[in-house]
Amino acid sequence: MDYKYSQIQEVASKLKDPELLKTKGRAILRSPELNGLFSHLKEMDANNRAEFGKEINNLKTELTEILDNMENESIQLDPIDVTAPIDKNVASDKHPRLLNSSHGSKHPLMTELDNILDIFYRMGFTALESRQVDDDFHMFESLNFPEDHPARDDYDTFMTTTGLIAPAHTSTMQNRVLVDGKKLLDEGSPIASVLPGRVFRNEDVDARHGHTFYQVEGIYVDKGINTGHLISTFKTFLEEYYSQEMELILQPFYFPFTEPSFEFVLSCPFCQKNGCNVCSYSGWIELGGCGMIHPNVLKMAGIDSDIYTGFAWGFGVDRLVMMKHGIEDIRHFMAGKLEFLRQFS
Amino acid sequence: MKVSLNWIKDFTAVDLSNEELIGRLSSQLGAVEGVEYLGNKYRDILIVRVVECTKHEDADKLNVCKIDDGGKVQDIERDDNGLIQVVCGAPNVRAEMLAVWIPPKATVPSSFDKEPFVLESRELRGKVSNGMLASPKELAFSESHEGLLDVDMRVQPGSSFSDVYKLDDCIIELENKMFTHRPDCFGILGIAREISGIQDQVFESPDWYHEVPNIPLPKNENLKINVDNQIQDLVPRFVAVSIENVNIMPSPTMVQSYLMRVGIRPINNIVDATNYMMILTGQPMHAYDYDKVKALCESDESTTLVIRKANKDEKLSLLSGKEIQLKHSDIVIATDTQAIGLAGIMGGSSTEVDENTKNIILECATFDMYKIRRSSMEHGIFSDAVTRFTKGQSPRQNMAITARAIKLMEDISGGIQSSSVVDDSHTNKDMVSITFNPDFVNQRLGTSLTKEDMSRILNNVEFIVDANSDELSVTPPFWRTDIEIKEDLVEEIGRLFGYFKLKRELPTRKISPAVKNIQLEINSSLRKSLSSAGANEMISSTFVHGDLLSKAKQDSKMCLQIANALSPDLQYYRLSLTPSLLDVVYSNIRSNQGVTEDNEFAIFEIGKSHNSLDLDDEKLPVEYRTMSFLFAADNKTAKRKYDGAAYYQSKKYLSHTIKENNLEVRLVPLGTMTEKIQDNTRLSQMIAPYEVNRSAAVLSLENNEVLGIVGEFKQSVIKTFKLPNFSAGFEIDLNLFNNKQNISKYVPLPKFPKINQDICLRVDYSMNYSTLFEFIWDELSQNKPKDTFFNLNLVDIFQKENDEGHKQITLRLIISAYDRTLTTDLVSDLLNQVANKANESLGAERV
Repeated sequence: MDYKYSQIQEVASKLKDPELLKTKGRAILRSPELNGLFSHLKEMDANNRAEFGKEINNLKTELTEILDNMENESIQLDPIDVTAPIDKNVASDKHPRLLNSSHGSKHPLMTELDNILDIFYRMGFTALESRQVDDDFHMFESLNFPEDHPARDDYDTFMTTTGLIAPAHTSTMQNRVLVDGKKLLDEGSPIASVLPGRVFRNEDVDARHGHTFYQVEGIYVDKGINTGHLISTFKTFLEEYYSQEMELILQPFYFPFTEPSFEFVLSCPFCQKNGCNVCSYSGWIELGGCGMIHPNVLKMAGIDSDIYTGFAWGFGVDRLVMMKHGIEDIRHFMAGKLEFLRQFS
Repeated sequence: MKVSLNWIKDFTAVDLSNEELIGRLSSQLGAVEGVEYLGNKYRDILIVRVVECTKHEDADKLNVCKIDDGGKVQDIERDDNGLIQVVCGAPNVRAEMLAVWIPPKATVPSSFDKEPFVLESRELRGKVSNGMLASPKELAFSESHEGLLDVDMRVQPGSSFSDVYKLDDCIIELENKMFTHRPDCFGILGIAREISGIQDQVFESPDWYHEVPNIPLPKNENLKINVDNQIQDLVPRFVAVSIENVNIMPSPTMVQSYLMRVGIRPINNIVDATNYMMILTGQPMHAYDYDKVKALCESDESTTLVIRKANKDEKLSLLSGKEIQLKHSDIVIATDTQAIGLAGIMGGSSTEVDENTKNIILECATFDMYKIRRSSMEHGIFSDAVTRFTKGQSPRQNMAITARAIKLMEDISGGIQSSSVVDDSHTNKDMVSITFNPDFVNQRLGTSLTKEDMSRILNNVEFIVDANSDELSVTPPFWRTDIEIKEDLVEEIGRLFGYFKLKRELPTRKISPAVKNIQLEINSSLRKSLSSAGANEMISSTFVHGDLLSKAKQDSKMCLQIANALSPDLQYYRLSLTPSLLDVVYSNIRSNQGVTEDNEFAIFEIGKSHNSLDLDDEKLPVEYRTMSFLFAADNKTAKRKYDGAAYYQSKKYLSHTIKENNLEVRLVPLGTMTEKIQDNTRLSQMIAPYEVNRSAAVLSLENNEVLGIVGEFKQSVIKTFKLPNFSAGFEIDLNLFNNKQNISKYVPLPKFPKINQDICLRVDYSMNYSTLFEFIWDELSQNKPKDTFFNLNLVDIFQKENDEGHKQITLRLIISAYDRTLTTDLVSDLLNQVANKANESLGAERV
């Protein structure tokens, strides 16, 4: 902490010396240097007096904290035998034991990810978790985002001081999956992968927007894959997920890494399009983006875009879970509150 | 972007109902964000003739008017001539004028969307006013409130205001994002063309919209101008022309109506004309005050616009009133002395068109979209021009737009062209045609469209199609900058054909099973085993505040650091998960107080940790997969339920997790491993919050690699996080579970009775339990009678009151044979033998 008044700053620098603190201990709080500061008060301009006094007190508090810390630091409890399953002299009714399983819970987002993966596994997709720190090549360049492209504006990315990126979409894994999947294509099998993971957006947080959320990306590449396949695959997934028939609309959109690109909008599974709280009484829910993989993205991964075509999609999981359980605030997910967590199985 | 359907209808017929159109737009052009029917706002509002206008006897500023509404309004007080009395305070009210009248019971349009204000007949200083005569502001046209809206069309009194100025309009708000690559769709013309295409109708651009239009010749050359483009690679086209004798005034009401409906505020006829052209074509324009520009030119020869990069230390005052410090990367329009505009973003205030302006220079330019974007971001200026310029307008439309603007200026300001049109152009490339086989498109859409179908679809939106061979050769129209490859045409055809018509089929594939991801499977199974043991899974942020790290005794210098976080809570990538768990203990203990009898919990998180030093094969930071666990009980609960150190409670959970996955690990005192851990960034940070005396390193059985830690926390950590004393946790590397055994070990069940016998050994207090246990186990294994099966369990660890140098460990042997009944004596002998060995080797004394 820095102090405004030079007299105080001087004493602070002197007294905060670790060696001095160690030798003097708490006596420092009664040292002449510290007490001497009060004598300056008399010479002070009346306007500054209160502030000066406050600074002396701040210094006292700071020193006390440092001393407390030093004492805590030096407290070491007795060693225990860490190789034993129990402590010494413990009655058998007080042995360590697991809590009742009825207290336990899995995080609802994780449960949902498992549910989603389960459906895609059954549909023949493999899975790979998305990275949490990546480079510009994977996040943008390999996805056909030229440098300075305005489409980059849509992603408020966190950057590290070393120029790495906290991915803003799970598409950051696309190039890797395509490169790895080339051998599958050579063997006559499709690339069929889902990529769940955490993604990040550097934006203000409120009940509906978090800086971190979960996405599931999907990729399918083979010979003869067309836009109808994309619609059908995703519709099949959604109908399995919601255990009901649904309508799916594709709205033309723009992403650099798909051509054509869409946003997909599904009929509200909670009100059958009659309008409800979940869909803001519109009967429709916008869920995510998708499209046919841009030939440049395939080429960047060494795949011949004249022979192979494919589709990709990405959607957020947080919103699905919030809709499913009626969770009102996205911030609950990461708050670590037992009151929240224990409501889920 | 707001689109006026009436404006659209100036260019194309719309056969669909509004509802159908909106549905088709969202599935064939892009998301519709909102629809507003303006007609409701202007219903009942009429154009009237002011027949008489006399001063109000009791009020200086008011006039009492008699108006003629053509007899349209029912149930209203009229004089003998059928005229209606309205009191009006506007300075420009006069007899014989046409004005807009809001009758009683009608809502004032400017209040329509907020708190609707419904007019009535009421007295103003003793004179009844039936409704009101309205200003542009009250009619939600502009901010102008100085006088009545000028009705500049010759219409019959009683005409509907809405009909005359096309206000019965449907305003459709389209999402901008989908037009990232479609600059043409930022103009009404572009949208009209798309709507025509969606309806399978041929669109024809208006006559004036040509790549090589008829360029008007100047009426005179009174205001010669030059353009000096010093950065031709960044400014591929710059068109300018001067116009003299403009008469600055409000635009014709119809022009104002057009602009107002799409959300542009009318300002004056010159500015409105440039905005009108921008909304129509997507191409921003700018008007400079010619005389102000000339005054800023040092050289007398001519007025020259210089296009260059900004100089160091150069400043510019913008139209918005803001002064900015220019950066070298900015493109500016300048005279030979100073910058007068930030290109493509905002004009400068020094050459602003104002009410005294007589002569102007019109600019219609094309700038490098990336440079404009960068400048806009750096200065934080986001104008309508920026939105459009950053999409990459076609430089081929500048002449057509300039020519049209010259005519518009003459029509609405009386100004005449007084220089030739200066065209500084550096775009000579022809539009490239794309050739493709119809199969290419059909394969990607799953359609069976014919060559003729595709040809028609593209023709509708003015692509030039040559379908004379088996293949189609397509040249995009000059305003399209987004058509580069065959796939772009797949999109165009698919969209205009209608994606909703595509055949929906699942891809076919071999039935080979998809391989499950082992790591994700591990996460799932850990989640299951811990939650079934009463623990709660939480997730927390990947990014943490520096304070959290220092509270947990970690070193932020090892972290990947976030450079641009909006919140200080998100400064660093976390080095391990334990601190995130420590961070929520206190609040949970507190909020649980008094809620249940037992205030205790077990929480865990499965996640990733990073540091800045460890790199993987891709030269990226290693993503360590890790799980952290923490058990805490408040003092009361701990005292009632547990004895001894909290460590053992955490260890219990670790053992449970390991066993559930059919794995084994070795625990050794952390102190014996500190040297090994010291140089390992990840482990040294992971163990930082743990107390060395009361923690164990978790080792792999295979190679003794350290995989994690289980233990209690440092006293200082307990204090700063306000943890209850009975707190302990663990954190382990999830790679541990990669070799998890899916098969449980099974031993055939013996048919003969088991014998249980205890052995109690007194050993040095410092001796590790595991040393003794493993010794006894090994001895038993070596010396057990043949064909027997045994197990060894801990019964108790006891320290006598006056014997603090020792402890007594009681173990229970359970043994049985597969082929016979064992005798007690045999087992006693075995234990005696083992006890003797323990005495010899470990100094253990049998009690």
